[in-house]
Amino acid sequence: MSDVSPLEMEVAKLIIRTLTLKVDPAQIQPEEPLFGDGLGLDSIDALELSLAISQSYGHQIRSDDPDTVATFASLRSLCQSIEKHRTK
Amino acid sequence: MKTAALLGPYHADRVLAWENGHPMTYGRFLSDVGALADLLPEKPTVINLADDRYRFLVGFAAALVRGQTTLLPPSRAPGALTQIAREYSNSYCLVDGTEHVERLPSYQIPTGTGNRTDTAKVPQIPIDHTALVAFTSGSTGNSHPHSKTWGSLVAVARSTGARLGLKTSDQVTVVATVPHHHMYGLEASMMLPLQHGMPFHVGRPLFPEDVRLALADVPSPRMLVTTPLHIRACVTARSRLPPVECILSATAPLSRSLAKQAETLFQTTVYEVYGFTEAGSVATRRTVAESAWHVLDGITLLQESVGCSLQAPYLLGPIPFPDLVSLQKPDRFLLHGRGEDLVNIGGHRGSLSDLSQKLNEIEGVQDGVFFLPDDTETSVTRLIAFVVAPGKAAEHILSALRTVIDPVFLPRPLHLVPHLPRNETGKLTRDALLGLMQDLQKEERHGI
Repeated sequence: MSDVSPLEMEVAKLIIRTLTLKVDPAQIQPEEPLFGDGLGLDSIDALELSLAISQSYGHQIRSDDPDTVATFASLRSLCQSIEKHRTK
Repeated sequence: MKTAALLGPYHADRVLAWENGHPMTYGRFLSDVGALADLLPEKPTVINLADDRYRFLVGFAAALVRGQTTLLPPSRAPGALTQIAREYSNSYCLVDGTEHVERLPSYQIPTGTGNRTDTAKVPQIPIDHTALVAFTSGSTGNSHPHSKTWGSLVAVARSTGARLGLKTSDQVTVVATVPHHHMYGLEASMMLPLQHGMPFHVGRPLFPEDVRLALADVPSPRMLVTTPLHIRACVTARSRLPPVECILSATAPLSRSLAKQAETLFQTTVYEVYGFTEAGSVATRRTVAESAWHVLDGITLLQESVGCSLQAPYLLGPIPFPDLVSLQKPDRFLLHGRGEDLVNIGGHRGSLSDLSQKLNEIEGVQDGVFFLPDDTETSVTRLIAFVVAPGKAAEHILSALRTVIDPVFLPRPLHLVPHLPRNETGKLTRDALLGLMQDLQKEERHGI
């Protein structure tokens, strides 16, 4: 996994821990989709993940935010959103 | 022919649905239903895939008016839709987006096109009409259809409302986090308000912040129709929800401590609803105060030698409980858990043997089994699969599974193993599978 920021590595680990996935954090490609065909996550995962993110970074994710579809699109976009809204 | 009205007390100017703060009245609803009913093709069955609650309801009601039956596929997995389309080949689809089902014609659900009249007549639907067919996954690998008469949907909506003390004059607005494509969502987020002349919110909020905004988007009093999963999320996030009169939870057991936290934090009353596809909603309880479930009016409990079942005037015959229950009083029962084969993941009910059968049908799979580990307190427990498939990658099997099962049941993780720990009679015991899981976890920790 090349050109990965420290935050991206941290969030990749958070995703794996929260969702008990069986992948190496280094295997999560920052530009690959998290949901659907990528890691195959679903709405229950999105909910679990949103809680972990709000607890770790104080960022409350919501669906009607025009950015949300983009937020969960990939690890990179998720981290950009966290960077922008984090309070912790 | 006995009939029941499409909706409860009719007032043309009362709000039926709230969409982004914009009200849609009962009067407009009837004109939308009438306009769509005129456009529908002459076919017996329809798959309604609309995501918007109002559009779905317009489609459902128009189909009723035309004497048609709505099919509720068990999931949106392409394989599940294809199977229904094959079995009900003379169907069509109603959509509000770009979805489609192979081989079936699709029609968009228009709204706001009907001629608004204040003298609209409320349609009367025969109570024996099969309003919808819901499907459950069975142990044979195919979905089982369960027909619901219009009379049964109306009866359940009215008895649920009576239990909750709902009065038409109260105009409680329902906000639901659950999809309306399944029985609980359809009953609690549509039939319940419709039969009481009350409004609902068209959306389906997911995250705690969505729930807060959706509730804030509608006037008080409010009711939240949801699941333990969403309640836990809102409690964990310590959401500052607008005042909610009551929270209705179903699809999985809600712990008393979580119910207490929700009642305190949101200053509300939490009720649980117990039901299953074959019978619809069956009983309720105030989780903080009682363990026993109180059956809805009209339902009779029966203790039979093989187990418990229930009977109601709107059901064709006694229906056995899929879960282990014991009768406490004539109208109360205790729930002791699910039968061994049944699993419930995030509110989706499935059969382990059905899932395992689908796994074994995948090309290259020699032997395979689904397994439910013990529950953890912290998050939703997911299924695990053990698969013998020499030369195949886990990703290959997962992508094949994705086309035939509800994604919520996809294994986390899928373990490729050389063989399964079958005993001398060929059976796989839970203990043997637990042992295999622990061995694999040990190997992982040691980096083998």
